[in-house]
Amino acid sequence: MNLGESIRVAWDSIRANMLRSILTTLGIMIGITAVIAVVAVGQGGQQSIMKEMEKFGSNLFQITVDWRRDELPTGREFTMNDIEIIKANVPELEYLLPCAQTYSTIKGRDKSKTAQILGTEADYARLHPLEITAGRFLTNSDCQGRRRVAVIDEEMAQELFPRASALGKRIVIGNQPLVICGLVKAESSPFSMGIKYVYIPTQVWLDIYPDGNISYIEGGTHSPEEVKVAMQNSIKILERRHHSKDIYQGFDLEQQVQAVNKVTGVMTLVIAIIAGFSLLVGGIGVMNIMLVSVTERTREIGLRMALGARRRDILIQFLIEAIVLCLLGGVIGMTLGIGGAFLISALAKWPPLISWTTVLLAFAFSAAIGIIFGILPANQAANLDPIEALRRD
Amino acid sequence: MIKMEQINKVYRPHSNPVHALRDVSLHIEMGDFVAVMGPSGSGKSTLMNVMGCLDTPSSGSYWLGGVEVSSMNSDQLATVRNRKIGFVFQNYNLLPRMTALRNVELPMLYAGVDKEERKTRALDCIGRVGMLDRIDHRPSELSGGQCQRIAIARALVNNPDIILADEPTGNLDSVTSMEIMNIFRSLHQEHTTIVLVTHEEDIAAFARRVLHFRDGKLINDELPSSPHIKPSAVKGGEDI
Repeated sequence: MNLGESIRVAWDSIRANMLRSILTTLGIMIGITAVIAVVAVGQGGQQSIMKEMEKFGSNLFQITVDWRRDELPTGREFTMNDIEIIKANVPELEYLLPCAQTYSTIKGRDKSKTAQILGTEADYARLHPLEITAGRFLTNSDCQGRRRVAVIDEEMAQELFPRASALGKRIVIGNQPLVICGLVKAESSPFSMGIKYVYIPTQVWLDIYPDGNISYIEGGTHSPEEVKVAMQNSIKILERRHHSKDIYQGFDLEQQVQAVNKVTGVMTLVIAIIAGFSLLVGGIGVMNIMLVSVTERTREIGLRMALGARRRDILIQFLIEAIVLCLLGGVIGMTLGIGGAFLISALAKWPPLISWTTVLLAFAFSAAIGIIFGILPANQAANLDPIEALRRD
Repeated sequence: MIKMEQINKVYRPHSNPVHALRDVSLHIEMGDFVAVMGPSGSGKSTLMNVMGCLDTPSSGSYWLGGVEVSSMNSDQLATVRNRKIGFVFQNYNLLPRMTALRNVELPMLYAGVDKEERKTRALDCIGRVGMLDRIDHRPSELSGGQCQRIAIARALVNNPDIILADEPTGNLDSVTSMEIMNIFRSLHQEHTTIVLVTHEEDIAAFARRVLHFRDGKLINDELPSSPHIKPSAVKGGEDI
């Protein structure tokens, strides 16, 4: 019997018991749905993270204090002098800037808000894609002259000064009055979590928080190839100046990408295990119903044998039926999974990434389950004695 | 066409053996119409199973169309059943989910006949049993007699050497039984070899020869049987 005819017979039998077939294949359906949806959403998320990182730029790096050390940081790991000396001694560097940050209250005329107060330099705007909507970002003369100016988040400005433009208005951070010189649009990333930023010159920040310290430094090189060298040399200088070792930790894009990949790798593994169990259970369901089907259709099998079906014809027929059943579940699962991925993505606001590899793999996997769990029932059918089978009601 | 020599069939040969057939030897010529009769347990079903290559004898030789089949394996037997034997069953054994046409095409699927020819040959055979207006009906939409006609068409479709009919009228009323028997008779007139199991005398009367079985033995081989005139007395019998 040819393949097309076998598929037709299989489909006829599945359709004759449509409800049963759908229920049987539910396990596979759910498994495939879960895999497709989670992988699509996960990959979409990963891509978002990657894009976010690429914004950071492949020629950039950060140096922070290694928090995994046993000692607590003294708070004096970075100084303004460090920055100057590193700049002077590492020719690959295009920029190097200190970042000091703390979460604090900003007072307007009669309202208060909290925000991340970031003390940094004018070059910050060149390392980060900030969108200035009014006024200007911090300038070198602001920073060198310790001018009491601040660039604040546009939305926050709107809330602090609802009636007129916030530009030129006075805010108070700590006890220091500052003048708003620019407004920025918040970075629209799914990972910013709505944190609002206020940018002020590093020296001003240090004046406001005399006990505070520079949290990390950011650097940029002329080309991406120089990142590793520049980062290592900067760390060496820091270590020499502070007579310490293994305090500093450098991050560049490559390391961050690796870190993300490690996380997604674990996630994928967990999903694969869950999906594997779901599909295993689904496969057992299919096997069970195929055994029922063989029993129900014993006479049909006997008849087919009498009419000339060989054992392998019967075996193939029931195997194909199991495969078709699993593929039915697989295809419904894929449809639901892709739909689910779009739905979740719409809610999470990142694009789903349906990879054809996953879809194809899911398809192949459903078929494989059909074969694996179809063998036992199909074999049982093929080994029936035609006389006994024909005698059955 | 069929030659059996010293056929024995023993079930459970080691514990509590049952001798279903004992030293059965018979010869059926091409184009013959043979009825097999006997009470239940006489071995006639076993004979049909062996003759139909559904079962193999414990000992003895069986030639079907000049080929010794008693020592064939199950795949070879399947091919023999497919090409040389057409089965007609008491309960028709049509597949309920298929139309009449597809039921008739079924043996050709296992013979590897291509689609076009399947349809041509199926329609031809359905025409021979007068069912061309019912080809798209499913068995549940057909009467018992109509089902049996379709089953006969299915038996004919691979041009078998022999038709084996096991109580083909057992589930039918007497009028329909006669219609079905008239089909067999016209097939016989077209030189089809037919072996028919029955326990009804008037059905057996259609045959040219009657084999009587008892306790696994062929006890009587009437040739010819009772006067061969009774069936033609049935009205409309020649219309088929």
